[in-house]
Amino acid sequence: MSKNLSDLARRKGLEKNLFEELGKAAVQTGTPELDEMAKLCDEFLVGKSTVYGTVSFYDFLRPENKGKKVYVCNGSACLTAGTQTELKTKLRSKFSAQEVGEMCCLGRCHENSAFHVNGTNYSGSDIDSIDSICKKDHHTKELYHVGSIGTPILTIAQPPVEEYYKIYEKVIATDPLVCLAELKDSGLRGRGGAGFSMAFKLESCRNVEDDMKFIVCNADEGDPGAYSDRYVMEQRPHALLMGMMIAGYITGASVGVVYIRGEYPESVTIISDAIKLLHDKKFLGNNILGTNFNFDFKVIKAQGAYICGEETALLSSIEGQRPEVRVRPPYPTQKGLFNKPTVVNNVETLANLPFIMQNGGKKYASIGTAKSTGTKLISLDGHFNRPGIYEADMGTSLRVIIDELGGGFRHPIKAMHIGGPLGGLVPLAKIDSLTVDFDSFAKEGFLLGHASVVCIPEDYPLIDYIEHLFRFTSHESCGKCFPCRLGSTRGYEMIDKARNTDYKMDRQLMDDLLETLETGSLCALGGGLPLPIKNALKYFDSELAPYFKK
Amino acid sequence: MGKTAYINDQLFEIQDGETILSFVRRHIGKDIVPTLCDAPNLDPFGACRVCSVDVALVKDGPAKAQASCHTPVIGGSFIYTDSERIKRLRKNIIELVLTDHPLDCLTCEVNNNCELQTVAAKVGIRDVRYPAGKNHLDKKKDLSHPYMTSDFSKCINCGRCVRACDEVQGEMVLSMAGRGFDSHIVKSFNDNFFESDCVSCGACAQACPTSAISDVFESKSIVADKKVRTICTYCGVGCNLDVAVVDGKVKSIQAPFDAEVNQGHTCLKGRYAFSFYNHVDRLTTPLIRKNGKLEPVSWDEAYDFIADKLTSIKATYGPDSISGISSARCTNEENYLMQKFFRAVIGTNNIDSCARVCHSPTAMGMQRAFGTGAATNSVIDLNYTDAIMIIGANPTDAHPVTGAKLKQFAMKGKTTIVIDPRRTEIARYATHHLQLKPGTNVALLNMMLFYIASSGLEDKKFIESRTEGYDDFKKQILSIDIDQMEKITGVDRNLVKDAAMSYAKAPNAMSYHGLGVTEHSQGSYTVMLISDLAMITGNIGRRGVGVNPLRGQNNVQGAADMGCQPHQGAGYLNSYDPEINKLYESFYGRKIPIGKGLKIPEMYDASIAGNLKAMWLMGEDLVQTDPNTTVVIAAMKNLELLVVQEIFMTETCHYANVILPAATFFEKSGTFTNGERRIQRVQKVVEPIAGTKSDGDIMVDILNKMGYPQAPYDPDTMLQEISKIVPFFAGVTWQNLAENGKQWPVLPDGTDTEILHIDTFKRGLGKFHYFDWKESEELVKNGKQYPYIVTTNRELEHYNAGTMTRRTGNVDILTEDVIMIHPQDAATHFIEEGDMVCVESPRGKVDIKAKITDEVKQGVLSTTFHFPDLTLNMITSSERDSEAMCPEYKIVAVNIRKSKGKYKEKV
Ligand SMILES: Cc1cc2nc3c(=O)[nH]c(=O)nc-3n(C[C@H](O)[C@H](O)[C@H](O)COP(=O)(O)O)c2cc1C
Ligand code: SF4
Ligand code: SF4
Ligand code: SF4
Ligand code: SF4
Ligand code: FES
Repeated sequence: MSKNLSDLARRKGLEKNLFEELGKAAVQTGTPELDEMAKLCDEFLVGKSTVYGTVSFYDFLRPENKGKKVYVCNGSACLTAGTQTELKTKLRSKFSAQEVGEMCCLGRCHENSAFHVNGTNYSGSDIDSIDSICKKDHHTKELYHVGSIGTPILTIAQPPVEEYYKIYEKVIATDPLVCLAELKDSGLRGRGGAGFSMAFKLESCRNVEDDMKFIVCNADEGDPGAYSDRYVMEQRPHALLMGMMIAGYITGASVGVVYIRGEYPESVTIISDAIKLLHDKKFLGNNILGTNFNFDFKVIKAQGAYICGEETALLSSIEGQRPEVRVRPPYPTQKGLFNKPTVVNNVETLANLPFIMQNGGKKYASIGTAKSTGTKLISLDGHFNRPGIYEADMGTSLRVIIDELGGGFRHPIKAMHIGGPLGGLVPLAKIDSLTVDFDSFAKEGFLLGHASVVCIPEDYPLIDYIEHLFRFTSHESCGKCFPCRLGSTRGYEMIDKARNTDYKMDRQLMDDLLETLETGSLCALGGGLPLPIKNALKYFDSELAPYFKK
Repeated sequence: MGKTAYINDQLFEIQDGETILSFVRRHIGKDIVPTLCDAPNLDPFGACRVCSVDVALVKDGPAKAQASCHTPVIGGSFIYTDSERIKRLRKNIIELVLTDHPLDCLTCEVNNNCELQTVAAKVGIRDVRYPAGKNHLDKKKDLSHPYMTSDFSKCINCGRCVRACDEVQGEMVLSMAGRGFDSHIVKSFNDNFFESDCVSCGACAQACPTSAISDVFESKSIVADKKVRTICTYCGVGCNLDVAVVDGKVKSIQAPFDAEVNQGHTCLKGRYAFSFYNHVDRLTTPLIRKNGKLEPVSWDEAYDFIADKLTSIKATYGPDSISGISSARCTNEENYLMQKFFRAVIGTNNIDSCARVCHSPTAMGMQRAFGTGAATNSVIDLNYTDAIMIIGANPTDAHPVTGAKLKQFAMKGKTTIVIDPRRTEIARYATHHLQLKPGTNVALLNMMLFYIASSGLEDKKFIESRTEGYDDFKKQILSIDIDQMEKITGVDRNLVKDAAMSYAKAPNAMSYHGLGVTEHSQGSYTVMLISDLAMITGNIGRRGVGVNPLRGQNNVQGAADMGCQPHQGAGYLNSYDPEINKLYESFYGRKIPIGKGLKIPEMYDASIAGNLKAMWLMGEDLVQTDPNTTVVIAAMKNLELLVVQEIFMTETCHYANVILPAATFFEKSGTFTNGERRIQRVQKVVEPIAGTKSDGDIMVDILNKMGYPQAPYDPDTMLQEISKIVPFFAGVTWQNLAENGKQWPVLPDGTDTEILHIDTFKRGLGKFHYFDWKESEELVKNGKQYPYIVTTNRELEHYNAGTMTRRTGNVDILTEDVIMIHPQDAATHFIEEGDMVCVESPRGKVDIKAKITDEVKQGVLSTTFHFPDLTLNMITSSERDSEAMCPEYKIVAVNIRKSKGKYKEKV
């Protein structure tokens, strides 16, 4: 991360920013042309290498993306569902090999066979209408279940906007410190993975004096298998937007940035439309509803890089820098976007604010467990009988989720990968010792994470799955820190070699590698990969033993 | 004791905000914790992770591995630098690094000088256990550039080069590209060094821990017989250099990180442009013109000849028929000796220096306003200021290391006002760029002063207690005609007002100016108006404020300090004052002249008029560099004796009767005084090449020869003499200057001075001056017939006439002079990029290659004069600053057309 680049980006502001311009420049051919890039360097006062470095980072900007017309999901859920080989074959009847690219998780994990054409996502049986899709007269038939157990907060029907925003009207007529106190009472913890106290973040940001602050929504939901943020954005957009506005009010920030992954084109449209509506209703702008509160939004569409979900990488991404993970301190609440105080929160975290403001922090805290308050959205993949998004009070037993909400598995599975690629690999035997909350998972040596569930079928070789995890990490590693940049690739190569030749892995070397990743990595990508691998080595020892030296 | 923490169970004190790494290094040593991506002049990055240490919050409590380079120490924590786990971690990381690194240390350029090698040895790595996999070993070397090299097969992705290029130089030529394992360094758009936007500062090469980025001199790894710290000979920034010597030859140069001036940075001139020093073109024997031909002679013969000639000319025409010009490129001691020779031995005040043609108006103007003609503050003040104003200066080219710091300031979006006819590099980043018409500085500054005086933003307390003349000044400034000034300057009044308000409102504001201020007919006036701006806003006498001329040459400050100007002797004492004359007479033990001496332009006039018979030049190429070449040549030709001390056969040498081969700065000791009044030690790096002598030795020889006993040239004894006569050198000794020099005034006890005029001005009260803007005579006389204005500028790669830089690899980077033309003007004259353009002034014409750019406004052209072929000074005028007689290089009325005749072929 470069302070200079952050400051230069600040000067240009968000309205017309380098990152978006690069995206626009890539629309036609899949990657920006050099003369286009040169113009942008001049305009944004950055070096040619700066722009080249940025462009070459993203899946959908880099030169290799040139000429791609259709993208096939290679995410974990589609992989274990085994749908993608057939999908590719079908697509090849319409597209040449060079025209077919890959995307990692389109949030269609519930019905798989996911692919992306002309800026639109398709899944399930959509492929059978490929002709109409190419003619742009096919609407996806996507369908997933939504349900809840306990207190529905994010799955309850959303009232009409005017009525819903009464909460907001009340908030901006209240002392921000009172709102902050409610938030503290609620005990709300971040839903993006780390479970960090939201009130603490807002308070630190509030305490930094600056006339420019930002609320950034992390809508880069990159975990393959997770689509609950997508659900919120597409089905409950106003919970999120109002949550950001309230966060802005509490901290003194007047700009909200929603950073949405490029793999969710529908979310981008729906959120943008919702913001337009808010403008029409005069809930945004300056001196909102006669108060001296100002707030407005900027929606940024990402360009394909898992690491942009890591908050500091995300900030660099918005600034048009290479999204490499930053060192902390400074924390984003001190020097975040454009070197200004910034709060970064996950979609689901933010979407809880309206409820807390409406019902009070104590009410929220009464839901769930003492340390994990409120509810959690859970994404169930296509291996369940009733795949979909479910909301459960924190502390609900995993068994209930699987059986009562998900309707059980469609076919025999041996493990669930819960909480994204860096979450734990939970063997069936562990189901009954887990409840859906941060502590239960941590205690058992797993991770609740963002609470996505990807099943690994009985007949799916674990060696393939851990190879997939290493490959995923090595593909998505930002490349900044040595352990992850080198280690993820070396790990992948070893497993690949063991899988495909008579090479046997050295267990000591694998342990050393995992320890190096875990203790040495700068962020939780390299640092988190060892968890599922160690789970696999522990719970599926005999299945994996043949790949190791005796 | 403040906050404390434990390192390996021993208690130590924490400094506020420090990282674990600095805490450990400060207390138990530099080499305890290995690092790879960390560097002394760069922000922490946290990439390599080999700096990890274990940290526990309670004794024997659970420890967490933390990267020490970017993690702050927590009070009361327990840090373990070498736990088993940490040792394993470091070793395992290095093992991973070596899976993608050629194992050919023995043949590597940086063998034995490689940080990776050192760390690998330290962590005790024995073998690489991973099977062979993807790697970057097939990356090709980049040898495209005259200086910079890269071999990315050796790259360990530490990002130091990228950060050096960004955080130190501010160029952003380098970046990581791709991601994950594929990450790799690129230059610009994945170009080679030569095609990239690299300005060859070498910061990346110095930063790179391996040989992945290096230079053709192998600066990092050279195994030197000795390393000598000296001062760069080019510009007034005064960078410290560590020069590596092998077998008595200069092999490479690096920048010491502990140098207060340049903190490990240089530009390409200081770091790489040194090969001139033993170039075959060096003059190696004294020459005397016999029958029109220069012939080699012995030193004795040369001295005899000169002494005889001077004696007889002095006897026949009087001492005032002889004049000398010293050089701002030479040391203080040498300059001092030369003026001493002229005053005490020849008996004339006809001694001037090249400060005349650059910053004489600064000295004059600031003396009148404040009492001291030197920068009021230091470069380090940039860290404490809120706003900067850069007027008539292009520091990224002319003062690159300070320029880089100013650019860093501007890049942060802090208030930066650039007043310049050209969109300079810093203007691109500035918050305010006032792109005025050349020659209208006075009008523009008057506008700014008008807006400040009329908006009540003056610092009334400061004006009241520290200055005089404000009431008169205010009356006059409030009566200027803004409409007219707006027209004259060509700058929208609102832009001017905004800039003035920003400057006035900043708690601390600094100004910087260069030759775009001084080299004008109203140069001294402009300097006084800049001083007015500082005073009216109270920006004098503390950190982060002041008026700061960017002195051009390495020792232009020193040349004037040492008395190489007719009206002021050593220490700026008035040489026309009878009292002071007595002081000088008793000090030098000789009769010292009191009559007025000639300034450089007056010397030309006097020679042409037949009154000046002999001239002695110490390292000055007047014919190439002074304006209106025809006049200069006529003056040279009219002399009976022209003595030139030089290192190369310059244009001026062609008119000399005697040439004395001098030594370069590598070959002598002495002191240079940089633009922030810092007297620094120049130390002899190598012996003078055979046949040459230092200018100091030459002056000592001639003093003795002509009957004045002077001890052999030695900076230590010279400084003893100088400190007795130059008041502000009172406490200077060769020893106490030490590594980082001292900023004058230096009190007898050796205390030096970073900031001038803290409580009172040198002259008591600061004085406000008002001046009306006046059109340059050049334009009044010739503007109608010659409607374009050529202004002159400099390019980073070359230094002035290029005598030195053209004899280095720099010439392969920038090969020729060009003239910048606005696209509209080019179109009017059917000129295309690269066409030769005939530029004609009332005095002559030259042909220059066109560079079409909107860096200049319509009607304005800008060119350099680094290459002798161009003879740009054929067209420059004899107009000069009304006060200090500094030539008006920045305004030449010209006409342009596409070249005809022989130049057409060149296209
Ligand atoms: C590799 C990596 C990927 C991440 N991806 C996401 C993501 O897609 N969405 C998200 O909200 N947080 C993600 N995070 C967590 C964020 O860094 C950050 O903690 C989160 O946005 C904070 O919001 P919260 O406190 O509301 O959870 C990721 C972290 C890492 C290390
Ligand atoms: S762990 Fe991986 S993704 Fe995270 S900073 Fe290091 S290289 Fe980047
Ligand atoms: S030499 Fe200087 S400008 Fe060139 S790449 Fe290196 S740091 Fe950047
Ligand atoms: S070129 Fe050198 S400094 Fe740059 S990343 Fe590679 S090893 Fe580090
Ligand atoms: S900035 Fe000036 S003093 Fe420093 S290295 Fe360059 S030319 Fe020499
Ligand atoms: S849509 Fe394919 S894994 Fe999520």
